[in-house]
Amino acid sequence: MTERPTADELAEAIQEFLAGEVLPTLADPRARFRMLVALNALGIVRRELAKLPAEDDAEQRQLAARIRAGDVPTGTLARVKADVEENLQVASPRYLDRYPDGD
Amino acid sequence: MIADMREALQAVLGPVSEPVLLPGGASKEAWALDADGRRLLVRRAAGGVIHRHTLSLRHEFEVLQAAHAAGVKVPEPVLYIEDLDGREAFVMERIEGETIGRRIVRMEVPEQLPLQMAEELAKIHALRPEQLPFLEEASIDRLVDELDEVGEPHPAIELGLWWLRENRPPPRELVVVHGDFRIGNLAVDENGLVAVLDWEFAHLDDPARDLSFALVRAWRFGVPHLRLGGIADAEPYLERYNELTGFDMRPEELDYWELAGNVGWAIGCLTQAQRHLTGQDRSVELAILGRLGAEVEYEICHLLEREGVR
Repeated sequence: MTERPTADELAEAIQEFLAGEVLPTLADPRARFRMLVALNALGIVRRELAKLPAEDDAEQRQLAARIRAGDVPTGTLARVKADVEENLQVASPRYLDRYPDGD
Repeated sequence: MIADMREALQAVLGPVSEPVLLPGGASKEAWALDADGRRLLVRRAAGGVIHRHTLSLRHEFEVLQAAHAAGVKVPEPVLYIEDLDGREAFVMERIEGETIGRRIVRMEVPEQLPLQMAEELAKIHALRPEQLPFLEEASIDRLVDELDEVGEPHPAIELGLWWLRENRPPPRELVVVHGDFRIGNLAVDENGLVAVLDWEFAHLDDPARDLSFALVRAWRFGVPHLRLGGIADAEPYLERYNELTGFDMRPEELDYWELAGNVGWAIGCLTQAQRHLTGQDRSVELAILGRLGAEVEYEICHLLEREGVR
């Protein structure tokens, strides 16, 4: 899956928030120091992510284009739902608990 | 900044208390203050980019005036100000009442709240469109354009759009709609509905679409079994609305437009994330919506199953 924001884009957003909005409000020197360390760690995470191969969204693009063209054979929904579930397992795993018995 | 704001406001309103900037939106500021014993709220343009398809503050003020004159429960509009310390703004009554959805679904809300919602909506849908000539018509096709602008593949949203195209109910005459009528945009207290807020999405549309938006699961705030905004079943709301409007809205229309509301919000999540990704408004809050849209996509799949799609 190639959901956006990507993991790196999310890490970047967190980095900007912490450095731009939180750090300037920290008065306690120890908290400031730890925030700088945390930002440094986040930088490591981003550089690590940058080394991963780029994900390919060609399959999702093809599927989206087929549905747009009205080509929706039986089984399409089940396949799409399974993909969404996979995304949710990352983005919001507890959300699935709100559909008891698949309701 | 606060001193400048106070000075600018005093120039038009006379003596005012110190304005307090309320937390919230990137595109609009909200300031609370008192003047001449009245509780006031100032909505003012902020630096952020204004979305497409939202009203300017001048037009939002005019809609508020029309709604107020027609007896819709809204904050009383007080004054439009073309230049308030360099930006467009308007002043309205500051309403007391709970607006946070998560709190409302946990409150002891009176049983008549769903009926009151239907009553206000009936009044809104009876507003005369010719009074508000700047309101635009919306259509499902606009959703497709918005999705294409995002440019990411989202088969679940495509499937929703496909079903909406294939199953469109006979269109109804367009009416003035609120455009974002749901728990979260209503002020509520122990007596029920106090005021309908946030009119920036007002436009002309099928009334069924406006009526159904409050059913969208994302606005049930963790109480998913109560279809009307996590507070009640939909039937009494629908019945009361039909009684008042004579529109004879069918439950299938609610189902259709509930799905459309989900498709619209799924695309909304993506466009909000785009505001971050393109650098218009850098914000973690906007960014994460790009991923949380998967919740709405799941609901779209769930509703398609309900409609018998396989």
